[in-house]
Amino acid sequence: MNTGGLILIVGTLAAATAAFVWLAMKISKPGHAPGKLKGGLEAAANVDVEHIFDDNFREELRNRGRLHFEKIIGENATFLQQDLRQTTTQLNDYMRAEITRTLQEEFKKYEQSIADAKQIAVGSIEKTITTIDQQRQFLETQMITQAEAQKKHVLEQFEKGMASIVNHYVLAAIGDQIDLSDQLDYILAELEANKEAILEDIKRGA
Amino acid sequence: MELKLTLAVVGPSEIRRSVRELAGLDDYFVASAARQNTDAAGQPRITQLLDELARANGINLLEAGQRKKLSEALNQVLKDAPSLHISFAREPSPKALEKIVSWFRDNIDKNSLLQIGLQPSIAAGCVLRTSNQLFDMSIRAKLDKHGSTLLSLIAGASK
Repeated sequence: MNTGGLILIVGTLAAATAAFVWLAMKISKPGHAPGKLKGGLEAAANVDVEHIFDDNFREELRNRGRLHFEKIIGENATFLQQDLRQTTTQLNDYMRAEITRTLQEEFKKYEQSIADAKQIAVGSIEKTITTIDQQRQFLETQMITQAEAQKKHVLEQFEKGMASIVNHYVLAAIGDQIDLSDQLDYILAELEANKEAILEDIKRGA
Repeated sequence: MELKLTLAVVGPSEIRRSVRELAGLDDYFVASAARQNTDAAGQPRITQLLDELARANGINLLEAGQRKKLSEALNQVLKDAPSLHISFAREPSPKALEKIVSWFRDNIDKNSLLQIGLQPSIAAGCVLRTSNQLFDMSIRAKLDKHGSTLLSLIAGASK
């Protein structure tokens, strides 16, 4: 309801009340016959009241009030609709902002978690790399040592084998090609060199 | 009897062979005395080994007593003389063998007896085995003994 409507209703009621009061005071003035006059005035007032506030007037007032009420209801509905739209818009904005903020916070947490996980993974990988590197160095040292030992062993075996091969080759090359007459000096020299031992052995055997 | 062994008598086999030959001679003379008729064609031949042995010791093989002495002396040598086993890479020539036997008779024992063996694997030199010990005087043993020297020579040659 707007202000103009209220002022109109209040003005109408005030005018009716003022007219009623004026009539009542005029009727009650001195000089008139108190009993008869008074009863006549009251009857006239009742008639006038009935005349002024008759059914049409009341219906008119009711219609005006209904219209005014409908108008007010319509305006309020409009206001309510506007408020509702505004509220909805604000709510949407608020929800959007909240959702965005929440999502951003979650994304931040998520990013932080990913960063932490990444850091942990990087640390783990670095530790693994360090361990692997140490292991590799240890294995490398061990392999070098073993390879050296194996190489030395193979060389020793080769040298031993080489001596054996050369000896075998020389013996095979000599075979029985050298006549005993050619070896005689060597044999006699060897016998001479072992003479004492042979003599000693024979004496012991005897 | 002091027996002088010839260089042809190398080892126990020659001694045994000579003893057997002396026994054969004894049998022959006993048989011929019993028959009273000696056949020149039937006379046993004396080997060079026994002949040299008899000559070296001044033995007349026609006399039974001297033959008996020789036989006893040979058996005594077979029993008492040191017996050595010597191996060569190949069969020694008689001349070389005589020198080796001579060395043993001059340096070890005058009645030394040698058994000759063959070991082609020794290539050269000899291996002497007495009753208690083995003397490896072969080239094979020398090469084995000086293996390190050979290796050092090879190493030096490869540098």
